[in-house]
Amino acid sequence: MNELLITMDNLSIGYNGQPMLSGLTLSITRASFTAILGANGSGKSTLLKTLLGLLPPVAGRIDIVSAGAPLTFGYVPQSNQFDPVYLLTGFDVALMGVYGRIRVGHLISPVERDFTRECLQAVGAEDFFHKRFAELSGGQKQRVLIARALTTRPDILVLDEPTAGVDRETTTAVLEFISEICKEKKITVLLVTHDFSAVRRYAEKVIWLHEGKIFQGAAGELLTVERMAEIFEIGMG
Amino acid sequence: METLQQILSFEFLLRNSLYTSVLVGFACPLVGVFLVMRRLVFMGVALPQISSTGVAIALSLPLWFGFKLTEHGSHSAHMLAFVGSIAFSLTAILVLAFLERRGRGLPEGRLGSAYVVAAALSILVLSKNPYGEIGWLDMLKGEVIAISNFDLVLTAATLTLVLAALGLFHKELLLVSFDRELAIILRKKVVFWDVLLYLLIGLTVSMAVLSVGPLIAFGFLLIPALTAHQYARNMRQFTLLASLIGGSAAFFGFWIAYQWDLPVGPTDVVLLGVLYAIGWAAAKLLHGE
Repeated sequence: MNELLITMDNLSIGYNGQPMLSGLTLSITRASFTAILGANGSGKSTLLKTLLGLLPPVAGRIDIVSAGAPLTFGYVPQSNQFDPVYLLTGFDVALMGVYGRIRVGHLISPVERDFTRECLQAVGAEDFFHKRFAELSGGQKQRVLIARALTTRPDILVLDEPTAGVDRETTTAVLEFISEICKEKKITVLLVTHDFSAVRRYAEKVIWLHEGKIFQGAAGELLTVERMAEIFEIGMG
Repeated sequence: METLQQILSFEFLLRNSLYTSVLVGFACPLVGVFLVMRRLVFMGVALPQISSTGVAIALSLPLWFGFKLTEHGSHSAHMLAFVGSIAFSLTAILVLAFLERRGRGLPEGRLGSAYVVAAALSILVLSKNPYGEIGWLDMLKGEVIAISNFDLVLTAATLTLVLAALGLFHKELLLVSFDRELAIILRKKVVFWDVLLYLLIGLTVSMAVLSVGPLIAFGFLLIPALTAHQYARNMRQFTLLASLIGGSAAFFGFWIAYQWDLPVGPTDVVLLGVLYAIGWAAAKLLHGE
């Protein structure tokens, strides 16, 4: 019922105190599917990292509404950012998602291991249990990383270009799965992507970052030819 | 085989040296694995040298302040050397890691400079010390000879502590090393775990330098981990294989050195180098490259 989960009030984001985007006032509702669009360097990933607490806001504030325990984020980063020197299997990487629930010095219980297997199976990554993560293809790594995000038992699933470098068939399968599981488990989704067709199909709301300006609205309203022409005209002006 | 029976005998005169070498051989690769994974190989070169400079300066302090040290093997001298070694290596690793995280300048340049200055400084300090010629220089060259029961117990206790901490906190240390962003999102105290890992590396390096010298310490930190990395399929295999290679090379290196009357340290390191070369060639053949 459009229950507010995250609000950003006059937020400035950037690196080392230098704002990259200013005046961000946004709200995200619970169990919604929001896509973040924009060209490379427009600030999409910076926005996600600020929301996740990886970067401090330059100014302004983010309010996250939580009744009890702090909200859990399931983060799916870009798959090419991991160093191949680590000899981790697909299962090892996915299992890291449960570390947040395991107390320091305690062993990981069989229940958590079984849950990790279930998550890998759910994303169709059961064949990668024992394979080296570094040796998987881009699409296979993304599936493992999505499984890892699910093992955190997230309230909010944050995906940074999860289908970059992935073929069309896999992209459809991955996004279909995310859409279904989020509806089923009432998980809020924030998806950074360049894939317009995926946005049209799955996203309820779109946040578009363009040349320092922020446009937001329902996907059906913002992704019309007229509205897009208006956005680009404003950008060119 | 007679030599083997001799060195395995409980009455063997140099048994403490053998036990210490093997302990260091098993323990150093366990932290070396993290140096390789975090791409801090140059740190593995510089740290033992900086640590040995700490030993040289600590052992010279009594002389500079007008006290007399009776012999190199005394407990007080050993404790003094331990404190010097640990103070220098921990300070160095924390400062170098801090500069690394800031990401400015050339890390290789900093580590190379730290290595060469530390090496020169330890030679200078020892050259002006009358005790330097009668044992300390041998120790810094890796002549594992005069190791007392006290030294052996101190080494075993320190390395057990490191091993226990690595085992107990393995998942946190691995997570912070592999995916720092996920660690922050999962609300792990990343700075604490980084500092703990550096403390464990510093402690192991200090103990190894003090027991077997910087040359062997460096050899055991990196070469077993690099050799094991070619064959291991997962982290458990990587860690266990590296430790096994280190411990075995320490034992067989000691055996060869004793048989042919060679210095133990350099023999161990050459043996590790040979194992690495054979491992590399075999891996190329196996993978058809």
